Amino acid sequence: MSSDIARMRNIGISAHIDSGKTTLTERILYYCKKIHKIHEVKGKDGVGATMDSMDLERERGITIASATTNVAWADHSVNIIDTPGHVDFTIEVERSLRVLDSAILVLCSVGGVQSQTITVDRQLRRYNVPFIAFVNKLDRIGANPFKVRDQLADKLGRNAVLMQIPIGLETAFQGIIDLVAMKALYFDGAEGETVRIEAIPDELAAEAAKKREELLDAASLHSDELMESILEGRATEALVKAAVRSGVASRGLIPVFVGSAYRNKGIQPLLDAVVDYLPHPGEVENRAIDLDAGGAERVLTADPGAKTVALAFKLEDGPYGQLTYIRVYQGRLRKGDELVNTRSGQKIKVGRLIRMHADTMVEITEAGSGDIVALFGVECASGDTFCGPGLNLAMTAIYVPEPVISLAIEPVDKNAADRMAKALNRFTKEDPTFRTHVDAESNQTIIQGMGELHLDVYVERMKREYRAEVTTGMPQVAYREAIGQKIDFDYTHKKQTGGAGQYARVIGRLEPLAKGGYEFSNEVKGGRIPREFIPSCDKGFRAVLKKGPLIGFPVTGVRVVLLDGQYHPVDSSDIAFQTAAQGAFRHVYMKAKPQVLEPIMKVSVEGPTEFAGNVFATISQRRGTIVSSVEDGTFSRVDAEVPLAEMFGYSTVLRSLTQGKAEFTMEFLKYGRVPAAVAELLTEQHLAKSRKESPQGRSERS
Amino acid sequence: MTLTVKEELIQRSPLRVLEKSISGGLGRGNIGVLASRKGVGKTACLVHIAADKLLQGKPVVHVSYASRVDHIITWYEDIFKELAKKPRMRSALDDFDELIRKRVIMNFKQDGARTEQVLRSLEAMIVQASFPAETVIVDGLEFAQAGPGDIRMFREFAGRLGLEVWFSASLKGEEPLFDDRGIPRELEGFLGVIDVLISLQHHGDHVHFNLVQDHGRLAPKDLRLMLDPTTLLIAKDVRTRR
Repeated sequence: MSSDIARMRNIGISAHIDSGKTTLTERILYYCKKIHKIHEVKGKDGVGATMDSMDLERERGITIASATTNVAWADHSVNIIDTPGHVDFTIEVERSLRVLDSAILVLCSVGGVQSQTITVDRQLRRYNVPFIAFVNKLDRIGANPFKVRDQLADKLGRNAVLMQIPIGLETAFQGIIDLVAMKALYFDGAEGETVRIEAIPDELAAEAAKKREELLDAASLHSDELMESILEGRATEALVKAAVRSGVASRGLIPVFVGSAYRNKGIQPLLDAVVDYLPHPGEVENRAIDLDAGGAERVLTADPGAKTVALAFKLEDGPYGQLTYIRVYQGRLRKGDELVNTRSGQKIKVGRLIRMHADTMVEITEAGSGDIVALFGVECASGDTFCGPGLNLAMTAIYVPEPVISLAIEPVDKNAADRMAKALNRFTKEDPTFRTHVDAESNQTIIQGMGELHLDVYVERMKREYRAEVTTGMPQVAYREAIGQKIDFDYTHKKQTGGAGQYARVIGRLEPLAKGGYEFSNEVKGGRIPREFIPSCDKGFRAVLKKGPLIGFPVTGVRVVLLDGQYHPVDSSDIAFQTAAQGAFRHVYMKAKPQVLEPIMKVSVEGPTEFAGNVFATISQRRGTIVSSVEDGTFSRVDAEVPLAEMFGYSTVLRSLTQGKAEFTMEFLKYGRVPAAVAELLTEQHLAKSRKESPQGRSERS
Repeated sequence: MTLTVKEELIQRSPLRVLEKSISGGLGRGNIGVLASRKGVGKTACLVHIAADKLLQGKPVVHVSYASRVDHIITWYEDIFKELAKKPRMRSALDDFDELIRKRVIMNFKQDGARTEQVLRSLEAMIVQASFPAETVIVDGLEFAQAGPGDIRMFREFAGRLGLEVWFSASLKGEEPLFDDRGIPRELEGFLGVIDVLISLQHHGDHVHFNLVQDHGRLAPKDLRLMLDPTTLLIAKDVRTRR
């Protein structure tokens, strides 16, 4: 296989759930001769598509963890990451986007641009990923690739242009017309493996000419040379391709390809397009943070002679031990190389180096700049950067959202407990949005994540992969507390119980901080609190904010201004000031109009228009606000903001209300105030709980 | 009694001038139409009317036949931003998020949307989802395509649910657009189903508001309002008469 960087592509396949990207990947592997038989996603043959390597994915028909695989096409080496479609797992999508140079956006020719597509588009924008679009499922009833192109323009504001048009649609879908070569393509053989090139059918000649005009108009904006040659009537295939390629690289043009993966039509031309239009790793600028230079940005070079910089972007626990997926950004990676993990400072030696295909692997000795490979036996977390000796760089941190939901889990027996611990350790390393801790009061293990399904999947994986049977509690929303107004404090902590006493006094105020978080401002003058005890006060406040007095959730959006205080030459200590800070906070908190905040989710529901009324009702019943509804003929979409606490079990409700014809996605939007009645209920629950846990605790304090 | 900044803004709004001229306001069960050529500022006026209701804490449904929801959202943000520039208003608009929760945007594709279906969805929003709207804004409906029958359906609907409905009507015909009574010639057939009809016309570099019909009575009158060309807000016309 070629190691020439110009013949390398790192692509992701991003799409709305059920738009057929796993089927598409399966076909790509087949035509690239990586697999020798095609399996369907929900395979009747009991095997399942090759990219869904986890049993669970096979069972649910969805792709969860992204498996990366390497294929060869037209003498190019293409690394493909099959990304998950469900929004609960977007961390996987985001991580994939970070390490890829370009993508194929798969759209369903019936559903077109859907809410998930909009989410993916936003991610593509965030990481500036160039992409081409593939309109799939042209064999379906209602297929309309022209409408999908219009939606790419209208809904996403993308300059999309058709590179191909279909010959027939729905059940009459036969082949496609290539608007660059102006030829008709048909896909013969049992698996569509033979591409037959013919002249364009007469009845489509006029339309093809018209669409080619549009293509040339759009492409010529990205190439003066093409513009001139069009005017002179001698636009060549090579010129058009170069112009489109440059348009894709600048993200100013989205070429749209069409086909049906399921019917084996249009895949080979799509692979040609990957090679023709998507950039190679050397054409993409990558930056790293220089940890030795105070976080200054450094542009990396693809030069194989430069010192190595590589990013571990995914860990997987396989039957042969931990597998670390790694992308080389600079220099190369060779067996026997010594590298430094710049987060931990640990040195590692590159042992077995592997090129991955979904479930099988090939051992290699060297990987070049831009390549994606896997390492065996390396201890690290996902997101760690490895550098050659003398370099101390970190690849830009991948954006990680805070978890919004938690679940108490309990192992059924001792064996399960051990296995559970092992599983949790693995999962938290693999997925930074999945967290776990042991609650100090209830002694329960709590897992946290981005949604109900997210946590469900991990509980299932614990059972299947680690044989760790656990029982689960009710999902719990990650509430926050905040103060509603400024409040002054003046608190003295004094303790005299024989031996050394404790003394500290702190004076200042708490202020609400609209942007959230915590700030500490020291305005103590004249050494009224000695300098060494200022950090103690800060530490005390930080500690007490972790568990708010109102409902026991973290307090956010607080600025502490420390103005004055008092100390005792003998009895004051670090601990005394920490305790004083905590006391001061508890003492005034309830007077600062404390509020309960809850995560508000951005929810999109899509489905047939006839159910729009039902959907409106479900949103308003859930304390939601409908932002907008869009009706496009028989298809409708409702965008709303709904508290996460009200969304539990929504998929079941929606399914039964709409006969399974509507679907929804949600993602975290912001924290918002809960209504007074709900806040009261939560406060009561918290009180009851703390009474139960420490029956004497209260009398002691009074 | 002293007024809050917000109350003052509501009281001094040029929309109070408009209400006064049309017998105290459009009123529930009635249809109001703002008519002009394309690009004169109908959408801006409709959004200003909606924003004025939102400021008063009254829920609004904004029905649009245009293609992008995000454009409409931007309209509202811009109008509120302009309002916030008025002296001392910034703090009063701090609860923008709260105000905007009382607005729902319903977007329909013109070719696919039959009025029966639009009204069905509107009813689902107001009745099934208990969205207590009093005012409905309808922007971008093609009057020529829809015909008086559709407007009559809207009017019956408004009467049944107790809504006031403001439309924009784009005038596309050849000059003269208006007959000698100031009635837009394209809307002559609609007069029976419209309660209040206002036309927007360029006079020099300003856009003026003319009342054509007031609750069924033909009552041509200069409303002494204009569209502020920089803020796109409705403003009192303080200049001397021509």
